Amino acid sequence: MSLGVHEPAAPGTLETPDLVIDIRGLRNEVAGTVLHQHLDFSVRRDEVMTLVGGSGSGKTQLLRIIIGLKAPAAGTVHVMGVSLSSGTMRQARAARQRMGMLFQNGALFSAFNVFDNIAFPLRERGGLDEDTIRAVVFTKLEQVELEPHHAALLPANLSGGMVKRVALARALALSPDLLILDEPTAGLDPDRSESFVRLIKMLRLQHRFAVLMVTHDLDTLYDLSDRIAVLADQHIIACGPLAEVRQLPHRFVQNFFGGDRALRAFDGVAIV
Amino acid sequence: MPKLSISPTERGGKIEVLVHGVWTFASLAAHQSELERTLHSFSATGRTDLAWNLGGLTELDDVGALWLVRKAGGTSLSAIPAQFDIILAQAQRALTVSHRQAPKPDLLYPFVLLGHVGLHVLDHLRFGIGLLGQVVLDLAHTLRRPGEFPLREISANIFRSGVTALPVTMLVGFLVGVVLTYLSALQLKSYGADLLVINIVSVGVARELGPMLASIIAAGRSGSTMTAQLGVMRVTEEIEALQVMGISITERLVLPKLIGLALAMPLVSFATDVAALAGGMLAAKMVLGIQFGAFLEALPRVLDVAHFWIGIGKSMVFGFAVAFVACHYGLRIRPNTESLGAGVTRSVVAAITAVILLDAIFAILLRNIP
Repeated sequence: MSLGVHEPAAPGTLETPDLVIDIRGLRNEVAGTVLHQHLDFSVRRDEVMTLVGGSGSGKTQLLRIIIGLKAPAAGTVHVMGVSLSSGTMRQARAARQRMGMLFQNGALFSAFNVFDNIAFPLRERGGLDEDTIRAVVFTKLEQVELEPHHAALLPANLSGGMVKRVALARALALSPDLLILDEPTAGLDPDRSESFVRLIKMLRLQHRFAVLMVTHDLDTLYDLSDRIAVLADQHIIACGPLAEVRQLPHRFVQNFFGGDRALRAFDGVAIV
Repeated sequence: MPKLSISPTERGGKIEVLVHGVWTFASLAAHQSELERTLHSFSATGRTDLAWNLGGLTELDDVGALWLVRKAGGTSLSAIPAQFDIILAQAQRALTVSHRQAPKPDLLYPFVLLGHVGLHVLDHLRFGIGLLGQVVLDLAHTLRRPGEFPLREISANIFRSGVTALPVTMLVGFLVGVVLTYLSALQLKSYGADLLVINIVSVGVARELGPMLASIIAAGRSGSTMTAQLGVMRVTEEIEALQVMGISITERLVLPKLIGLALAMPLVSFATDVAALAGGMLAAKMVLGIQFGAFLEALPRVLDVAHFWIGIGKSMVFGFAVAFVACHYGLRIRPNTESLGAGVTRSVVAAITAVILLDAIFAILLRNIP
């Protein structure tokens, strides 16, 4: 795999490529079975891209490839203009520091309290004094609607919704140019989901970052997405604005966007 | 990139600093020193009263907001674009919070800690007694209904903690037998009491070392497995699922482990005895020239059968204790990975300590049996 036409951002420079994620001709196998093939997928800077697909369609596997936890069997994957598998370690590290990921179950470090969880990426990144780190952590806590006294709690003592908000604060700690959200609103009550959507919108007003979101929550999808990509039959069968994607005569798309729940979410149709 | 410049006109008698560009973590990291220099050049003019105009900001994140709020100090920021209002206010609040949150040393802490430790010990005692009582009740319950007796689980536990433990315990037993005999032989040789080595090794192994070695290895091997298994079941909510189905945790999970290890331990201990005596025999031949036949012939004479039965009985109690301690700690694990790791460590340490304590108690109780 080569870096191709992509000029990787040299360490220290801050250009964000036009495509923060660019996947071409991806082939991915898990335990001998082909999960993805001929898969093309890209996310532009400044957009919210939502990835949808049925259970077992390989959304999580695709995310694992994007964040560099797994190397593809074939094809090219560029994130922030850098190929995580064939670029140098330094480039990959620089690219990773410019993305944040919210894992489905939070993935908080259970040995650290809330404060240290959020401060961890800031300390690892270096260049900030402890006072600034402390202030950044408390800003993040406020942004995710947590109180300063929550900072001392251990993950084991948090509710599911709080774990999610702390994990979001940690994902946002480095002000990433790309935020990856895996089921961000799963397990949150409607009110919290709503405030999550508001928070992402507000943050994107201040700092233009791209979002790649995997979700089954139709309300969140409707409120946030600029474009939607549908993963089915081992590749991305459609990618575009909601109105466009909904028209696709594919069984999964029709079930997903044409069901009662979708009608309620998108068109406000009351189902009796 | 972030930029600072001075407006040609003053505002309210102060130098107006114009803030432009992208003020984010990454851009500040790259241009921090440059900005500091620019700011320094402003104050070099001898004027320290600055008014900050944020009209030219295009992007701002927390780190940028904190930088600006800090540098601006008490002076007001003006011309703030509407979308950055909130983040600047948050940064201002965060700076005050972080000062308030500074930890204060607590002089009473040692006493508080002592109290906590005391309560913790009491809690362990209460839980342990409760568990033991429940096990006794469950045992009575299953004995009344022999059809429900968890035979399969018990036999699985005997295999897991008994049969599979044999290679390692026998190897350790053999080596300890060799070392013990070798060291005793060296001393006895100087007194010319060569044959006494058979007494020392056989009684020491059958009564003390065999059960102790087997139990300590079982604590590290089977005890840790039991604690981890119960702990993982807690983390994955399997324990709660069983409880919801109305299934007794102690009857289904704890009792088979206790009975299994209590039955397996004497067998493992016997195998360890045999291996240790074999090691002793080998060392006796090599150091003192005692033939295998002579060793085996002397063995029944010097080793009273009471010693053997004491060893077997002790190992049964040790097995029960190891499994009980393991289950006690396993059921106390809270559903998180931190607690799981700490629980397993504590369980192994407590089980080994319990075995040694019990051995000391046995030594006192059985002191009249020579």
